[in-house]
Amino acid sequence: MTPNRNADRPRIDAHEKVLGRALYAADQPFPGLLHAMTVPATIAKGRILSIDTAAALQVPGVVRVFTHDDFSQIRTTPAARGAYGQPGKGHQPMTAPQVRHRGEPVALVVAETLEAAVEGAEAVTVRYAEESFSARMDDDLAGPEPEAAGQLASGDAEAAFANAAHIVDVEYRHPQQHHNPIELISTTAAFEDGTLRIYEGTQSAAAFAGGLAGMMGMEPQALRGVSPYTGGGFGQKNGVQEQSVLVASAALLLRRPVKLVMPRGQLFHTASYRPQSRHRVRLAADGNGRLLAGIYETVQQNSRYDGFGSDHGANPPRMYGYGAWRGSERIVRVDTQTPGHQRAPHEHPASHATECALDELAGALGMDPVALRLANDTQRDPITGKPFSSRHLADCLRRGAARFGWERWTNQPGALVAGNGDRIGLGVACGSYKAAMTPSVTTLRLSAGGQCRIATSGHEMGQGLRTVIAAELIDVLGVDPGKLDIRIGDTGHAPQHLTAGSWGAGSAAPAARAAALKLREELSQLTGAVLSDEPVHVQLARTRRPYLEVSVDTVPLGKDRQAIEQLRRGMPVTTGPEYPDFLAFSWIAHFAEVHVEPSTGRVRVRRVVSVADCGRVMNRRTAESQVRGGVVWGIGAALREAGECDPRFGGVLNNDLADYVVPVNADVGAIEVDFIDEPDTRLNLSGVKGLGEVAMVGAAAAIVNAVHNATGRRIRHLPIRIEDLL
Amino acid sequence: MPDPQDRQPFDLTRRQVLETGTIASLTGAMLPTAGLAQQAGPQPSPENGMTVHLSFRVNGRPTALDIDARASLLDLLRERLGLVGAKKGCDHGQCGACTVHMDNRRVASCLTMAAKADGRDVTTIEGIARANGLHPMQQAFIDHDALQCGYCTPGQIMAAIACVKEGHASTPEQIKEYMSGNICRCGAYVGIVAAIEQAAPQIERS
Repeated sequence: MTPNRNADRPRIDAHEKVLGRALYAADQPFPGLLHAMTVPATIAKGRILSIDTAAALQVPGVVRVFTHDDFSQIRTTPAARGAYGQPGKGHQPMTAPQVRHRGEPVALVVAETLEAAVEGAEAVTVRYAEESFSARMDDDLAGPEPEAAGQLASGDAEAAFANAAHIVDVEYRHPQQHHNPIELISTTAAFEDGTLRIYEGTQSAAAFAGGLAGMMGMEPQALRGVSPYTGGGFGQKNGVQEQSVLVASAALLLRRPVKLVMPRGQLFHTASYRPQSRHRVRLAADGNGRLLAGIYETVQQNSRYDGFGSDHGANPPRMYGYGAWRGSERIVRVDTQTPGHQRAPHEHPASHATECALDELAGALGMDPVALRLANDTQRDPITGKPFSSRHLADCLRRGAARFGWERWTNQPGALVAGNGDRIGLGVACGSYKAAMTPSVTTLRLSAGGQCRIATSGHEMGQGLRTVIAAELIDVLGVDPGKLDIRIGDTGHAPQHLTAGSWGAGSAAPAARAAALKLREELSQLTGAVLSDEPVHVQLARTRRPYLEVSVDTVPLGKDRQAIEQLRRGMPVTTGPEYPDFLAFSWIAHFAEVHVEPSTGRVRVRRVVSVADCGRVMNRRTAESQVRGGVVWGIGAALREAGECDPRFGGVLNNDLADYVVPVNADVGAIEVDFIDEPDTRLNLSGVKGLGEVAMVGAAAAIVNAVHNATGRRIRHLPIRIEDLL
Repeated sequence: MPDPQDRQPFDLTRRQVLETGTIASLTGAMLPTAGLAQQAGPQPSPENGMTVHLSFRVNGRPTALDIDARASLLDLLRERLGLVGAKKGCDHGQCGACTVHMDNRRVASCLTMAAKADGRDVTTIEGIARANGLHPMQQAFIDHDALQCGYCTPGQIMAAIACVKEGHASTPEQIKEYMSGNICRCGAYVGIVAAIEQAAPQIERS
């Protein structure tokens, strides 16, 4: 049956969310719950000489103070924070008298109340032997590494520059950024039904079963990861956190449930962040604006011990029909906490650098930047020569330009002036993000009374995954949205794969659709006839069965049955962007209008128009919200966000929400969203690609290009602040 | 004030706890059963240190208890009264996720001492739905998809109702200004403004 495109329904969990009834990890009630608080390290690197816990233990209500002496048996495995699945990498604090970054926990105080735990933590005294360190990638003691292997290249890029009519050679810099989901990262460990349940708002419940079990030397079946609702993830909650195993171990030792809600200020040091990076972009074009070659070299900051990679070069060569390309990536190691994936982890910084460089090239050519992009559109990947499964980027540009009123654009900076004297700037930029998928094991049960229950892999963190799953069940079975029970984010219900990389919908939608189609087929066999338009549960009831249950394993394109076994073992299995016959990406075009106040340099983003090609739109309403969210992140990146590292002490100076400024309501103007909405059924049964990450890619670049159009200033670092424009 | 030791809900003493040993002794050992670990049944954790007596109304219900003098209103609601709709997003009054009403005014409950609630009327997200269904602001948030992850939503809705009652919802610009104390990291701001515009005519100004 043909999927119903472009359905528009209320978010399926909106009702319980507006009532305040959705229970997040730290909301779970447990009798006899103990509260924990961490003591953060006050040095960047060194050894712990002693920890004096006497005063803390005197605080009424304090039950116990844990130190590295208690946790030396915990193993740092590939599941540990910072390891990114690689043996020998990662760092688990409190397993040795050692400090590897400022702010890591050195003691854990557990008490009957939160107030006692906080006072206890403040009463712990730690003596250290400090060692020299480097906190910034430009420091003398920083550790640059050789160029990473396997960089993308095609043709002779250097030679193409010799024959070019126009060349751009520019360096763009990207700051450290912090995710700051509003749900604080927390861990609660409690005993239920003979298992140790770990409640943590996460994108990877499996990390809290198999991953923690490995670190604690326990059987994976002894633990269960539970995260039905995550209060925003954005990549920061994609695995075990520094405190997770400490809380689980404390609960085991005390034989009581323990909860730790990490303070925001500490999370700036213990949780992941987007690392600083530098991007040199060289573009060569002929006199007509045809892109002859691109050379793209990046340097990214990492911690000393992490397994986090650098992948800036993956998308830019796929954006346009470059004649030749050469990429290069390096990392520099410093003594800070490990960075990680933050929404469009490398795609956003790469799009900032390359899409702004393209704007500079348009300026050098005297060409309309929309026309330049359209002139270099391609239906084949310049690196592999394979076609794209679907690419409607040119349509995104044309439709966006019409809706935005791009005809107002002129190449004369500052030519457009608002009634109040503000300079108006218009900017455009594009983005892409790989269309990826993961395996699922799905159980679907329809009851004769109309209830419909599905258990599958996935985590709801606001992107609308429950709504996507519901869309397929409603589309295929016509079930009542009010009678759906969608069980995700819990290893007790189904094997759980990490939800990240915009593969949530591309994995969960085909899984739900396949299960629903199988259920229809089995029901049809039961009734002995083709199903009618009557509700399916009524047709089931006539067979006198109380319920019908089906199970489906979904193997993503290009993988085999082994993927299911890996999923069951908690191992990640992902696909894309390259598939046997094509490459698959989601695409987007952003148009931004900024108003710059000439006397103060204040920039306001008055209007953004974004048109996305994400395959089939599963739910118009939630999809629009997701794109608006990505644009808000682009506004934050362009004009607000930067983590300020203190080179003297190795910490983040602006480690709270008053000083690390993210966009608030008054910062956001109109954001209009449209979709191409062409299903990509070569990729999967549902025809869906992915949306959450591509929504942000290119958004900051469009704003930066608009600021140039308003002011004539080419600012090559983020964020752009008043002092850059005065 | 009784000795906190006497008020432990468990028969586990601090000495026993200290003697439990390191994790190695439990590695591979059996897990405590739910019965052993959580035998106490639902009862609030004992207060430690100095307590104050509070008598106030929560969502219209008279409530009286002794509470740690250090506790915030947010930790009173969440950890003592089981009203977990108000959320902790920063504990510094910077994000707005903990917004509740005290005597009909919006406050950051994380910055409000619990003791300050004595004699007051406190309203949380759990207390605004009307007998015949949702509060108009709740319905408007659904209609305009003014939420994604939902974590900041209770605070946004409580701030939104106050924004209208204060008379700060007459234009979109004014709404944006007076809703800027509530951060939505998912970026649902456009929907939040639209929701407030829809609900405003149905809410009386105070």
